[in-house]
Amino acid sequence: MEASHEDRIGGIGARTDPGFYLTREPATLAMLLLLAVVSFLAVVGLSRIYHGQQQALGDRWFRRGLADLQGHQWERATSEFRTALLYSRDNYTYQLNLAGALLGLKRSNEAYAYLINLWEREPENGLVNLELARIAAQKGETEQALRYYHNAIYAIWPSNQEIARRDARLELVEFLLGIRANTQAQSELIALAANLPDDPSQHQRAGDLFLRAQDYEHALVEYRLTLRADRHNPSANAGAGVAAFELGRYPLAQRYLQVAVSANPSDAQAAEVLKTTELVLEMDPARRQISSEQRNRIVTEAFVVAGQRLKSCVAVGASTAAAAREPTQPTLTQRWATLQRQISERGLRRNPDLVEEAMDLVFEIERQTNSACASPTGKDLALLLLAKEHEGN
Amino acid sequence: MDILPIEKSGDMPQVGTGKAGSDRFGLTPGAVLRSVFREDRFFLVLSVFIGFFSGLAVVCFRFAIDWCRIHLLGSGATLSTSRMLLAPTLAGFVIAVLVIHVFPLATGSGVNQTKAALYIYNGYIPLRTAIGKFATAALAIGSGHSLGPEDPSLQIGASLASAMGRRLRLSRDRMRLIAPVGAAAGLAAAFNAPISAVLFVIEEVIGRWTAGILGSVVLSAVSSVVVMRWFLGSEPLFRIPVVKMERPSELIAYAVLGVVGGLASVAFSRGVASVRPRCKALPRWTQYFQPPLAGLLIGFIAVLGAPQVIGAGYEYIDEAMHGQFTWQMLAILAGLKIVATLLSFVSGTPGGMFAPTLFIGAMLGAAVGGAQHALLPHLNGSPGTYALVGMGVLFAGFLRAPMTSVFMVLEVSGNYSIIVPVIVANTFAYVISRALQPTAIFDVLTRQDGLELPSMEEQREEGILRVEDAMRSAENPVLDAEETLDRVLQRLDGKPTDVILVRLNPSGWSSVARHELEIMVSEGKGDLTLGSALATRQSPYLHPDQPLETALRYMDRWPLIPVVSRADFRTLEGVISQQDVLRKYGTSG
Repeated sequence: MEASHEDRIGGIGARTDPGFYLTREPATLAMLLLLAVVSFLAVVGLSRIYHGQQQALGDRWFRRGLADLQGHQWERATSEFRTALLYSRDNYTYQLNLAGALLGLKRSNEAYAYLINLWEREPENGLVNLELARIAAQKGETEQALRYYHNAIYAIWPSNQEIARRDARLELVEFLLGIRANTQAQSELIALAANLPDDPSQHQRAGDLFLRAQDYEHALVEYRLTLRADRHNPSANAGAGVAAFELGRYPLAQRYLQVAVSANPSDAQAAEVLKTTELVLEMDPARRQISSEQRNRIVTEAFVVAGQRLKSCVAVGASTAAAAREPTQPTLTQRWATLQRQISERGLRRNPDLVEEAMDLVFEIERQTNSACASPTGKDLALLLLAKEHEGN
Repeated sequence: MDILPIEKSGDMPQVGTGKAGSDRFGLTPGAVLRSVFREDRFFLVLSVFIGFFSGLAVVCFRFAIDWCRIHLLGSGATLSTSRMLLAPTLAGFVIAVLVIHVFPLATGSGVNQTKAALYIYNGYIPLRTAIGKFATAALAIGSGHSLGPEDPSLQIGASLASAMGRRLRLSRDRMRLIAPVGAAAGLAAAFNAPISAVLFVIEEVIGRWTAGILGSVVLSAVSSVVVMRWFLGSEPLFRIPVVKMERPSELIAYAVLGVVGGLASVAFSRGVASVRPRCKALPRWTQYFQPPLAGLLIGFIAVLGAPQVIGAGYEYIDEAMHGQFTWQMLAILAGLKIVATLLSFVSGTPGGMFAPTLFIGAMLGAAVGGAQHALLPHLNGSPGTYALVGMGVLFAGFLRAPMTSVFMVLEVSGNYSIIVPVIVANTFAYVISRALQPTAIFDVLTRQDGLELPSMEEQREEGILRVEDAMRSAENPVLDAEETLDRVLQRLDGKPTDVILVRLNPSGWSSVARHELEIMVSEGKGDLTLGSALATRQSPYLHPDQPLETALRYMDRWPLIPVVSRADFRTLEGVISQQDVLRKYGTSG
């Protein structure tokens, strides 16, 4: 230290005055207070200059970041938002956009850190909740994802609140379908459908989602609402056809699917379902307005088809479930062989009671081979669908 | 020392502070007491002002650092090569000139200078040091030297406080304390962490706790933090990640972090301790080129792929906490930061060690966390948690402030569930660091500067001699107060005892020499009881656990002092005399 001893001890002689604090204290405090006020005001002035400059720099870098974000230049946008945050660390918008850029870079952990801070500041912010839900969904944290999605659905959105909420719910439905939580997805879809505007495309999307959630009744309703605006809409017709097909309403399905396929012949799925539908209708001996000859021919054909299916299934070594379960009972093959002698158009004409017995055996063969062998196709599939319908009845 | 009942204290030959005070001031003891009381109170109020002014100074210091950074390194997060090389080099040259010609006391971190003010210079720190520290440290940190703003803030606070104390002509005792009070304020504002600042100053600068000191230090720290938050907001230095510790087995990983941190601390402090004197020993003209050369080398490190080592690096601590780097990169950054900080510090560039310590700790912590995650994926502590713990580890291992290190992490993280990992890791780091580098870095630096300041760490570890170590069993007779002087003399007849102890009623002790008894008997007082003859001569007494130095205060008046039980003051555990005390000090070396 370079100071003299007197300097160092700070004027010790003067402080030996015992009344110093008694007499000078108020004056000293007043002086200190005045000095404090003056210094404070001076720093306030400096602070304004400083914060003004910081804000200008922050805004400049933020604007650059936004431009890069729109151009999907995630890396540059991230760097620019980070720079902007150097100048305004607390800025909500900067942090939110940085989180978006980080998500674009698939750096979800880092984005999460920003978002969770933002969420703590504004738990009711829709966009933050939605982004957090996406991250949780990506990580497979279902409960968290559901919580944030629901928060987003009921959150405050800065603009177009209804649309934003609907989009959030649609995204939630997609997530639920992705994790095969169909029942929850159906509930969300019912809530969504109740608030849809009169927009055919919205109804069609809802119909598609209902279809994926296996709620065919509601799907059909939504497709019908879509078709009100455009009866020839091929995808709506295809969706309605598939929904009707799944509901077992084959004539209706046929009608929709025919329109769909004729309008869009390249729709292979609709064409396939239409073909199956037509086969179901064709192979159904119980359908109305057919003669007894036609019915007998259908039964005979169904019996032959089921027999072939049974033979091919046995040939590949699969034992039917019934045979395995009840070894003392005659096997399906034995039953089919026993009945085969009587099943012909003439035999059925002579004994119409055999129709029901033959079809029961056909349905049983299709059901059991379905569980023991490869999935059926063509007429076997049609017979299996009829078996299911018959079982339901 | 337990003093006997207050109403009797006036009669007792107690320590003569009041009398000496009266002599000095020419006032009655009561007036002196009032004066002291008012000074105490005034000092508390002054502490608030010190905190306020220190807070303002630190806010301006932060502005200055940011302005330097923007103008020297550019406003972007990505720095250009030319600026990375030129800014620290040219700024280093300017700093060297300023330090050599204008502010010679501005060099170093500032912690030791504050301690020197307390222990050597009666609290004196020239205001010019604060100005120099402010300017040179802002230039150094803003231009990219690997140093931090905390220690300079500490010194700026201390220097301002010292200037205020001189201006207000405080007493010598207050002047000595005022620098640490300002130091706490400066550190608290720089760190945005008042508890850690208070603890650091108590633990590393003052070294003792009293209500008066604590009150002043706390008031100044809190008021400075309030001012700092007013201007700069209350955001923590970095975003705190989700802290989680799901399995106790993760503590093994934290213990490993403690070991690694301890070794890194030793490497860092040995590097500083061995390179600094060599640099200081170089010819004087080289001092012009040491800071620029350090700046140039740091620039090269940055250009070669580690721009994170530039400046204090808080933004990169934040990124490390949120898993932005691979564990290999984190380990490299920790190593490079040690090198960069070493270069900056040993070159004499003014600036602090706290921020680099936190940086190195965070990188090491996150690296250990990342490596653990790669090797033992079932332990799922987040990198952020490891980074936070790592900061505490280096604080404990390098700066050797174990208590501060724990509270610093708690205060910064705001999460008390992290306390167990912090304590485990810090303990390992501290023990390893102490074992391999017995002298703490601040003490090493002090001794290199030719000063002999008390080492708080050594003081903490120092064994203390107690009364029980020197006392002996009471061979002298212990008599009751009811016995008459005649009877006592008869009992002492033929015994070699010079001094007897008297147990007074209802409580208290006294002692009397044989020749005094003989005088009283010769004066015709043989019928008096010991109690009535010695009523005004109550002797002090001690307890076995009291420091031995306490006994020395009474030895000039009382040749033999009773040592009594704390549970029953009438139960004598032993006696102690001046010879006993001196013999003990003699044998304990």
